[in-house]
Amino acid sequence: MTAPVAIRCEDLGKRFDDAWVLRGVDLEVRRGEVLGVIGPGGHGKSVLLKCLAGLLTPDAGRVLVDGEDLARLGPLGLARVREQYGYVFQNYALFDFMSVRDNVAFPLRQQAHLPDAEIDARVAARLAEVGLAHALDLLPRELSGGMKKRVGLARATVGDPAIALYDDPSAGLDPVTSSKIFQLIARMHARRPDAATVVVSHDVDRMRAICDRYVMLERGRVVFVGAESALGDAPEVVAAFFGGAERAPTGGG
Amino acid sequence: MRRLLMAPLSSVGRSALGLAETIGGATLLFGRILRALIPPRFDRDETWRQLYGVGVKSYAIVVVTALFVGAIMVIQTAFYVRRTGATSLLGYGVGFTVFAEIGPILIGLMFSGRVGANTTAELGTMVVTEQVDALRALAIDPIRYLVVPRFVAMMIMMGLLMVLGDGFAIIGATLTADTLIGVDPSVLISSLLESHLLDEYLLGLGKALCFGVSISVLSCWFGLGVRGGATGVGRAVNNSVVANAAAIFFIDFVVGWLFPVGL
Repeated sequence: MTAPVAIRCEDLGKRFDDAWVLRGVDLEVRRGEVLGVIGPGGHGKSVLLKCLAGLLTPDAGRVLVDGEDLARLGPLGLARVREQYGYVFQNYALFDFMSVRDNVAFPLRQQAHLPDAEIDARVAARLAEVGLAHALDLLPRELSGGMKKRVGLARATVGDPAIALYDDPSAGLDPVTSSKIFQLIARMHARRPDAATVVVSHDVDRMRAICDRYVMLERGRVVFVGAESALGDAPEVVAAFFGGAERAPTGGG
Repeated sequence: MRRLLMAPLSSVGRSALGLAETIGGATLLFGRILRALIPPRFDRDETWRQLYGVGVKSYAIVVVTALFVGAIMVIQTAFYVRRTGATSLLGYGVGFTVFAEIGPILIGLMFSGRVGANTTAELGTMVVTEQVDALRALAIDPIRYLVVPRFVAMMIMMGLLMVLGDGFAIIGATLTADTLIGVDPSVLISSLLESHLLDEYLLGLGKALCFGVSISVLSCWFGLGVRGGATGVGRAVNNSVVANAAAIFFIDFVVGWLFPVGL
């Protein structure tokens, strides 16, 4: 039986001023799958992820989460939908006035309304899982890039979200740390196997270990959707990307 | 030639549109703040943090400003007091100008430069580093979590700092009067108390609360509207300081016109 659709994009378009960054994107993310979003830099991958989370409003088409159009939801409805989300930002987006402990505890304090002792225990456990048990009381400015990424990952997944979105989780990290990050994503998905997970990355080799299907964007358009086994029917540019011969960006969004 | 003639007109048009956007946007933001306040739905921990931050950041600069305000008022009147010997009017003159006019304006300007600019920079940096998006992704309304606590803190603290500032302005005036023109502190204080300046005092306090509202709303509006990285943050802080100063003078004019005192 096919898993239910968590997120559906229909003819999604997004523009900034006169430049269309996304055009005619049709896409489904199913419960339980890990979808990889790949493509050259600056071709709309992060914008797509923000549209999926309702952080950007589409200029064309729509994004449906469990059948609800995000653009038609009021603030309370949008907040209710977003309670399912965990979002790892490309540039960490840690709250710089909070310690690591408070950053990770923040979603639980704001949404889950759990007793303090339970929040503390869950935060400590999640930080231990990402290898940062020693960094509880540090501030984000005291952390390295890889540590910040792991704190961002712990914050996004501490509530075991039903929809997990990762925006370039290995950007700017060394190969060893990148591997650790992808292992953590796999572990988070194993913890909640019914979660719909979307990972944006250029790191095709590491994505192979965790992704069930891929979407490739070029100039804001979908040029490939499917599993790696379907690459035989894919355009040359897609095969080249998977083969590690990413061609130079050709402009566009 | 036509382009040369149109350039100043375009510039005026752009400025007018920018002004309309600021006033409209800030008004809508004020509406959203009020909606979050009735009934109160905002983060109390963040409000305490802001109250502490705003108070600690500002009290020293307010105390220094107030001491000088009082001292300057005495220096400005010293010539006439010496010439006429009207020392009994010194307390009235200082109290009237400090409580109703100069005190609120100068303390408001210092507060906007210190706290308002800091708020715009802080929120602007949160926007460009995606911290505001992170709040929204966690289903938290940035208005309730970031703006309302700052609004409450700035309004309360502006009122309290005004009370503190009035006190220190009188201390500054008393010390200056004693050392520069030889007027005994008791003379100035009794002149002040006999002048019945409660209306002026309350007017100044009311102005300070209005300044607190305008500084918080405009600072947050400019901060949350930042686009374009560090340059955008710098531009927003600049615009925020200018808009806050203009708003302080405008509010002072309107409140002074609606509630005339000392007439």
